[in-house]
Amino acid sequence: MFEPMDDVIERIARHLRRPVQVDPALDGRVMREISALPTPGGATMVGKAWRWLRRPRQFTLTPLGGLAAVAALAVALLLFRRDSTSPTPPQVASRAFQFVLVAPRAARVSLVGDFNDWDATRTPMQRTGSDALWTVVVPLEPGRYHYAFFVDGSRWLADPSAPVARDDDYGAPSSVLTVGGGGDS
Amino acid sequence: MKRALAGATGPLLAAILVAAPAAAQQVDPRLERLDAATRPVVAALIDSARTASLPTEPLVQRALEGATKGAPEGVIVAAVRRLAVDLGRARDALGSTASPAELSAGAAALRAGASQTTLAMLRHARRESLIVPLAVLADLVSSGVPVDSAAAAVLSLARRARDADLVEFRRAVERDIALGAPPAAATAAAATASAQSVDVNAGARPQRPGRP
Repeated sequence: MFEPMDDVIERIARHLRRPVQVDPALDGRVMREISALPTPGGATMVGKAWRWLRRPRQFTLTPLGGLAAVAALAVALLLFRRDSTSPTPPQVASRAFQFVLVAPRAARVSLVGDFNDWDATRTPMQRTGSDALWTVVVPLEPGRYHYAFFVDGSRWLADPSAPVARDDDYGAPSSVLTVGGGGDS
Repeated sequence: MKRALAGATGPLLAAILVAAPAAAQQVDPRLERLDAATRPVVAALIDSARTASLPTEPLVQRALEGATKGAPEGVIVAAVRRLAVDLGRARDALGSTASPAELSAGAAALRAGASQTTLAMLRHARRESLIVPLAVLADLVSSGVPVDSAAAAVLSLARRARDADLVEFRRAVERDIALGAPPAAATAAAATASAQSVDVNAGARPQRPGRP
């Protein structure tokens, strides 16, 4: 009723041993198909770099090394934050303003204000024309500035031609100059 | 890798130990002009302002002004602290996009007596910089104009007036006050004249798409 198992195996083996006719052009066709396939990641330097970046790796790190790395990151963030919040010089056009004071008896006059760190040595005024007239030209960016004239190293004078700074905190008189984006004071 | 990191740990820790305190104690060298008692207090106030993303330059200048004028420690510290508070209030009213110069002018307006609501209304009324409107508002109030009158006048002009128009308006008010006019009346008259002038000028300007 059933063939013996050995006979069945023998028949299958005979069938498999028969020579098979293969198309002689098959190899060529297969190689052409393979060469036509896109190379994963490309064979360029970019492709190699991309494969290198995507390959998983394992690192070992001591606890001390890990702490050092975290601390370094914290310091970097702190420094970056300080830099990013510090005022950056605005890229706006400054305009020249001439300051004038009539002071016939003065021997020296300085202009001091928010634009020169209130440094009496930085912006000395010059006598021009008559001996009574003191002038200086200062470039200023848009903003609201407090300033005053410092006469003979001892006397503070507000600018009589400008609004008085009534929000002055120190008693000595100051004036206010407002520079607009495209306008004057 | 482990060996490399272990080798680098010593110098790295040393760099951190040096860099961290240096970063924490970075004091503006200009503050050296303050006396030894005032300097650390002012530096701490400036550091707090920096942490709150407020402009620090106005605070430095306020402190230096005090040093140059020979003000005592307590007065300088109080002035810097008051300005820092006003800068924060100005930022709350004008928004985080306000420039440092706008915040400084806003602080002056608040100090003069303007309200945060007025500052916020100015922000909504004007697309251009608010430096001049805020400064004019502060100057008017400082000149004796009632704050409500000054705020109403500046708000009415701010939408369309140029900076130069606002400055001319302030000069007109101050001129009339100097001639004896009551401050509120001088402000109302100058505001009306300026508004008419702005309307005439606006009509004569070439029109630009998307702008009033």
